[in-house]
Amino acid sequence: MSVDTTAAAAGDPPAGPGAPAGPRAGADTEGVVAMFRRVLESEDVSADSDFFLLGGDSLVATRVLSAVARSYGVELTFEDFLGAPTPGRLAEKIADAR
Amino acid sequence: MQCETHGTTPDLIQAFTETALRNPERAALVHEGRVVTYRRLQELVNGLAGRLGPRRGAIAVPATHTPETVVALLAVLAAGGVYCPVDPAFPPARQEDMASAAGCRAVIDTGTALDPRLGLPVIRSGQEEPGRATASTTTGLGQDLSPEAPAYILFTSGSTGRPKPVVTPRRAIAASVRSLRDLFSLTEEDRVLQFASLNWDTSLEEILPTLTAGAALVFDREAHSGSFPRFLRTVERERVSVLDLPTAFWHELVLHLAEEGTALPDRVRLVVIGGEAVSPARLADWSRLATGRVRLVNTYGCTETTLITHAVDLHGPGAPAPGWDWASGTRAPIGRPLPHVVEDIGDRDELLIGGPAVALGYLDMPRATEEGYAVVGGERRFRTGDRVSRTPDGLLTHEGRLNDEIKIRGIRVDPAEVEAHLAGHPAVNAVAVTGAVSVGRAALVAYVVPRPDAEPRCLDGDLRAYLRERVPAHLVPSRITVVPHLVLTTSGKVDRRASHQRYATVNRSKETVDER
Repeated sequence: MSVDTTAAAAGDPPAGPGAPAGPRAGADTEGVVAMFRRVLESEDVSADSDFFLLGGDSLVATRVLSAVARSYGVELTFEDFLGAPTPGRLAEKIADAR
Repeated sequence: MQCETHGTTPDLIQAFTETALRNPERAALVHEGRVVTYRRLQELVNGLAGRLGPRRGAIAVPATHTPETVVALLAVLAAGGVYCPVDPAFPPARQEDMASAAGCRAVIDTGTALDPRLGLPVIRSGQEEPGRATASTTTGLGQDLSPEAPAYILFTSGSTGRPKPVVTPRRAIAASVRSLRDLFSLTEEDRVLQFASLNWDTSLEEILPTLTAGAALVFDREAHSGSFPRFLRTVERERVSVLDLPTAFWHELVLHLAEEGTALPDRVRLVVIGGEAVSPARLADWSRLATGRVRLVNTYGCTETTLITHAVDLHGPGAPAPGWDWASGTRAPIGRPLPHVVEDIGDRDELLIGGPAVALGYLDMPRATEEGYAVVGGERRFRTGDRVSRTPDGLLTHEGRLNDEIKIRGIRVDPAEVEAHLAGHPAVNAVAVTGAVSVGRAALVAYVVPRPDAEPRCLDGDLRAYLRERVPAHLVPSRITVVPHLVLTTSGKVDRRASHQRYATVNRSKETVDER
């Protein structure tokens, strides 16, 4: 049995706005850089590093999206992440969604 | 050998038609909350089957998470054609390769169209007027619904870079779906999430047992959002009772649940996983969650042996007591053969599979077909390439591969296919592709030697873009490293594993190039 969720996730339109924002701190680029480092198990991440060029894929991306939901109360989608794949741009996306 | 269902299992379309007649008002499909009843689904299927007419041969269908794809699947089968799903998100070149390798004669436009470059006649799946089509359409076309007739064509990874079409006959799908209805204990009360991409066979193990049991198949785009909070809310809102997930995705789900300290929504009674080895660490996490009432079923199967051939309850009410000790790193078994499956363990402990679910072979590839199948006691067996061990009570455990194939997000990948594509780039002199475990999941890695006159500085990015235009995402390596040369075996062939071991510690391609 075999399956791929990547194409499906990439092909689906972005879902609606995220869930209500939590009471936590606002998204900062350094916070997202730290998140990338933890998930990718690599220190080689800066504000403009592309998650998918650092070896991230749709599976590992779910860990970033879960961490974003936990830390910032914003439920972004894989499609959102594809459009903002660096810590700098993802932090902007989080700020916009709050 | 347990083979008594061979030849006696009713055709899938017959099973679907009988189910629809028994449950006309029940929900067959639920799409973003909108219900298609069994009666309506049958009308849509019969209407499209009628428009397909006596059209033998393969028909390309855009594979999307929509009721329209399911209607097209059933209509093609009802009309005696061969269903060939193609993901419209794949690069156009790949779509063309697939349609041509499968010998597609026509394409269905479900509202989503495949690439116009396929150049095939287009049949539109229109809106049938309610109440117009009749049940007789499904059997009145004089089509070849015989058990040996081909039902669908799906693709596996081929060493030449071309997708390798597997032809599955109607008997295989009928026998397999019947076993799966029993394995899943499906009833009319069940609601099964449609999760797998429609161009992989896992989607058929979601769709067909459900629609021949009178249960409901639930489509919801939030399930594919990549966000577990959204996924879990969807499962809860849609009252989903059965989930069939790639093991790699289930690993991530368990990580999320463990971090949140939550369990699955109450209605979920069965979680089916499969596609690669189950992590004992995630099983230990799962066991610590409030999951005791949920059946967790591990499954094994190949495209060439139709959906699932082996299964075992790993956790929950169907698992053996006292249960396995996952925390000490016990490897999860892949299961026992389903009732329709014949198994043998051949040379080098290779798992061989026979019985009605064995595919007809690879289309127009007699040599690959001959190599892929063995004959045991006069009967065909598919050579899985998987090494297994068997306990006295018949439980199989996977011990490794006999070739270099790798599972990436549950999909079998022949590294030679990715190498063939990379070698087609004008700046590439030599290439080795292999699998590596990175941040807890299997990933493809490529090592590329550039031609002497090539500019190596941006080559990794160029190659990635080059692949994205040609192959699906699962065939694009997570990391492409430019290296001065590859490691060869004593016989002069590229040694994939040794090349990887030599360069794995060098993370960034630019550093490697600078060393030259």
